Amino acid sequence: MITISNLKKIYNNVLVVNVPQLEIAKGESVGLVGNNGAGKTTLFRMILDLIRPESGEVISNGEAVAGHENWKNYTASYLDEGFLIDYLTPEEYFYFIGGLHQQTQAHVDDFLSTLTDFFNGEILKKGKYIRDLSKGNQSKVGIASCLLQKPELLMLDEPFANIDPSTQIRLKNMLKSINKQHGVTTLISSHDLSHITDVCDRILLMEKGRIIKDIATNSSTLAELEDYFAVGQSVISSLQIDEEENH
Amino acid sequence: MIKTFLQHELKAFWRARNTGKNVAVKIIMGVFILYLLLCALSAGFFLDKILEHAFPGQNIVIAFCGIILIYFIFDLISRMQLQELPTLKVQPYLQLPVKRNALAGYLAATSIISTFNIIPFILFVPFIIKVIAVGSGAGVAWAFVGSVFGITIFNNYLALYIKRKANLNGWIFLIATGILVLICLGDFLWHIYSIKDISYLFFGHLISLPALVLLPFLLAVGMFYLNFLYLKDNLYLEELNSKKASHKSSTEYPFLNRFGTTGDLAANEIKLILRNKRPNSAIKMSVLFLFYGLIFYNKPAMMHTDYPVVFVGMFMTGIFIINYGQFMFSWQAAHFDGLLVNKIKFNDFLKAKYLLFTLVSTLAFILTIPYVYFGWRVLIIHFVMYLWNLGVNTTIILYFANRNSRRIDLSKGAAFNWEGVGGTQWLISLPLFITPILVYLPFSLLHYRDLGLAVLGAAGLVMILIRSTLINKLEADFYKRKYTIAEGFRNK
Repeated sequence: MITISNLKKIYNNVLVVNVPQLEIAKGESVGLVGNNGAGKTTLFRMILDLIRPESGEVISNGEAVAGHENWKNYTASYLDEGFLIDYLTPEEYFYFIGGLHQQTQAHVDDFLSTLTDFFNGEILKKGKYIRDLSKGNQSKVGIASCLLQKPELLMLDEPFANIDPSTQIRLKNMLKSINKQHGVTTLISSHDLSHITDVCDRILLMEKGRIIKDIATNSSTLAELEDYFAVGQSVISSLQIDEEENH
Repeated sequence: MIKTFLQHELKAFWRARNTGKNVAVKIIMGVFILYLLLCALSAGFFLDKILEHAFPGQNIVIAFCGIILIYFIFDLISRMQLQELPTLKVQPYLQLPVKRNALAGYLAATSIISTFNIIPFILFVPFIIKVIAVGSGAGVAWAFVGSVFGITIFNNYLALYIKRKANLNGWIFLIATGILVLICLGDFLWHIYSIKDISYLFFGHLISLPALVLLPFLLAVGMFYLNFLYLKDNLYLEELNSKKASHKSSTEYPFLNRFGTTGDLAANEIKLILRNKRPNSAIKMSVLFLFYGLIFYNKPAMMHTDYPVVFVGMFMTGIFIINYGQFMFSWQAAHFDGLLVNKIKFNDFLKAKYLLFTLVSTLAFILTIPYVYFGWRVLIIHFVMYLWNLGVNTTIILYFANRNSRRIDLSKGAAFNWEGVGGTQWLISLPLFITPILVYLPFSLLHYRDLGLAVLGAAGLVMILIRSTLINKLEADFYKRKYTIAEGFRNK
C-alpha cells in the first residue's frame, strides 16, 4: 500500500525525519509511537503530501503522492483541527465531505446514524458550528468524516487524545473492526501505549526521526514499550522542543 | 511594565515568520508617510498665502479659524479608514500578575504614536506662529496650539473608540461613517448650516478669551478616559463573547448544486463570509461602495471625461473582488490542510473562486443599473468594467493569492483581533487600480474614447473566454508554491 524510500526532512539543520525504507502492506494496522519531537506528525504530513521532503519519496498504491492526486480518492486522514472547516455545522461538513465522494445527503445521514453511540449526542443537531465544539468533539467530527469516506487507507494522528474514556474504547473497537472486517489499512499514532498495542498488529517506534523498532504486536509488546519509554525518562537530559506540536 | 510590553512587541515584530515582508511594507509606508509629512509641512508653511487665494477679500485669521474644524472632520473620516489599532496581544498577560490598569493604559497610550497626530501640528503651527502670535500675542497663540492638541487627541481616541466598537458590530462603522458624511453633506450640499461658522464661533472667541482652550482639553481627557475604561472593561471580552452562543442552523444553496464540487466549495465560501466577522465586514464595505458613484456622478465638471466612471465603475462592480480577494486563500488558512488532503481538485477550488467572484460582481452590476439616470454611457462603462473585473482583476487577485501565505484566524472573534486592517492593504491593491487606467489612457489621449472602452471590455472578455487555460496556469503555478503556502498557513 505504502512504500517509503530514503525519506528525509530537515528543520533548522536538524534531521527530524529519516526513514530509509518502510513498507506498509495492504490491510495492515500500524501504530506509530514515540516521544514528542520524534517526527510522527512530520512523517504523516509527508505521506499526505503536505510538506516537501528534503529527499526521498512516498509511494502510495504504486504512485508517488507528490504531484499526483489519485491517492486522495482512497485515503482519509485526520491529523488536527486544521483539517476541519470550523465555521460549518458538523452536518454541513459531513455533507460536504460526502459530496466529494459522490454520496447523497441521504447516504450520509444513513452512515451517521450508525455512529450515534460514538457521537454520544454531542455532535449532531446541537446547533453549533464546529469551532464551538470542544477539542474532543472536534476530533470526533474529524474521525467520523474519515470513516464516512469509506477509505482504503486511514491515517489518524493521536485519535485517543482529548476524548473521553468511553469513546476511546468505542473508537478502539471501530478501528479494529474496519481493519479486520473491511480490510482498511490503518496508520495511527498515539501516546497511549495500551490502546495502540491493543488496536495495532504492528508497532513502529520512532526516536529522533528514525524508526528504531518495528515490532509485530504480541503479549509482551506493551511491556517492551513501557520499558523503552521508562528508560527514555532518565536518559533525556536536554529539553526538546517539538517543531510540529508546539506551534 | 510598559518597557516589558514594548520589548515584547518589538520581539513579536522581529521574530514574526514573515519579518522580511513586514519590514519591506513598513519601509514603503515610511516613505509614503514622509512624503505626506513634507506635503503637510509645505502646506502649513504657506497656509497664509493659500488662504488669501482661497478666500479673497476675507481676513485670513477668520478664514483660518473657519477651516480648522473642517480639517478635523476629514481627519476623523480618514482616521476611521486608515488608523491602525495598537496590537499588543493581551491574552498571555491576563492571567499573570499584571495590573489591568497597566494593560489598558498601555493599549490606550501607545495609540498616540500615529502620523495622524503629527500632521495637524505641522499644518497649523507655522500659521499660528506667523500670523496669530504676531497679531494677538503669545498667550493666544499658545491657546490655539493647545486647542489643536486637544482636538487631535480627542479625534484620535474617538476614531479608535469607534473602530473598537465596530470590531464587535460592523454596522457601527457604517453608521458612524454615514453620520460623518451627513454632517459634511449638510454643509456643502444642503447648506443647512456652516461648519466654517461653527469653527469660527469657537476659534474666533479663543482670540478674545484664551481660557476657552480648556474646552478641547476636557474633551480630550474625557475621550481618553472613555477609551481607557472601555479597554479595561473588555479585556476579557473574548471569553464573554463565546458564551452567548445562539442556535446555529445548517443552510444550503440549492442553486449552487448544479456546479458539483465547485458549487459545494463556493457554498462553503459563502458561509465563510457570512459566519465570520472579518470577511463579513468586507462584504458590508462592498455594499457601501455601491453609493460611491453618487459622490462623483452628480458633478458635471467631473463628467467630461470617462476616467471617473471607469474608476468608480471598477470599484462598484469589483470592490468585493479587491477587498475580499486581497486576502485570498488566507481566509481558508485554518483548514487549508484539510482542503489539500481531501478529494478536491485544485482546479475545482479555483473555479469556485471564479464562481463566487462572478456571482457577487454580477449582483453588484445589477444593483448599479439605476446609475443609468446619469446617462447610458455610465451604464455601458459599468458593464465594460464589470467584464474587466471578471476577466482581468479576478486573475490578478488569484495570481497574487498564490504568493500569499499569511494566516488569518477566522475563529478568533473580531474583538481584540486587530491583524492587518489598515493602510498597508491598500498598497497591495495598487496594481489593480493602475492597470485599467494604463490600458485606457493612450486611447483617451488620442481622443479614441470609445475604442479605449472597447479595448478594456475586449480584454476582459478574452480573459473570461480563456478562463480554463488561466485556471490551468494558476493551478500549475500553485503546485510550485503549495508547500510554502500550506506551511505559512500552519504557522499561527
